[in-house]
Amino acid sequence: MIEIGRLAIKTAGRDAGCKCVVVEILDNNYVLIDGGTRRRKCNIIHLEPLNEVIKIKKGASHEEVNAEFKKLKLEVRETKPKETKDRPKKVRKEKKKIEEKGDKGKKKAKKEGKKKSEVKKEEKLSDKLTKEGKKNK
Amino acid sequence: MPAPNKRSRTFRRVYRKVPGGKTVLHYKKRKPSKAKCGKCKAILKGVPRERPYKMRTMAKTKKRPERPYGGALCSKCTREVFKEKARSKK
Repeated sequence: MIEIGRLAIKTAGRDAGCKCVVVEILDNNYVLIDGGTRRRKCNIIHLEPLNEVIKIKKGASHEEVNAEFKKLKLEVRETKPKETKDRPKKVRKEKKKIEEKGDKGKKKAKKEGKKKSEVKKEEKLSDKLTKEGKKNK
Repeated sequence: MPAPNKRSRTFRRVYRKVPGGKTVLHYKKRKPSKAKCGKCKAILKGVPRERPYKMRTMAKTKKRPERPYGGALCSKCTREVFKEKARSKK
C-alpha cells in the first residue's frame, strides 16, 4: 500500500489531518513525506493511505511536489525562512564619551559645592559682624 | 483560631515559607477538575490543572498539545477521527 507517490493523510502530531505524498521510502518503518505537511521523515503507523497515487520521481523536490499538488487542487504548506535580525552592536568609543561627560558633570557639581560652602561661610561671617555691631551700639 | 469560613475544608491549605523565615499557612481555592477527552473521557495529557487566573497568564502553547483537536480529544481519539475521515473519502 505504501509506495512512492502514494497520497496519505497524517493521523498524528502537529500536521494531523493534512494530506501528503510519500516521496521516498527510507526503511521498513519510515518514509519521507511532503505536500500539505512539512517535508519530513514519518513513521508508516502515522499515515492513513488514500486510493490516489501521483506520478513523481523518487526523492522529488518540494517544488515538484507542490506543482503536482496544485494540479490536483490540494492545499500546499509553504514555510518561509525565518528573518534574522542583526543585534545592535555596542560601540566602545560611545561608552567612553558618556563616561567622560559624566565625570565632567560631577566635577562641575563639586566645584559648585565648594562655592556654595564658601558663600555660606561668608554669610555667617557677615551675620556675626552685624550682630557684634548691634551689641556695640 | 482561624476565621469561621476558614475552618471548613472548602479552601485548600498551603504551607508557604515567608521572607522572614516563618512557615505560614495560606488558604487557597481548590483547583478545578482535570481536563478530559470529549469522546472517551480519558484524562488529557499536556493540559495544566490551574485556576483561570493562572491559565490567563500562560502561553497558548502551554495550555494544550499543538495538534488538531489538542486539548479537546485525546491522541487515540484524534487518530481514530482522522482515520475515519480518510476512509470515508475512499
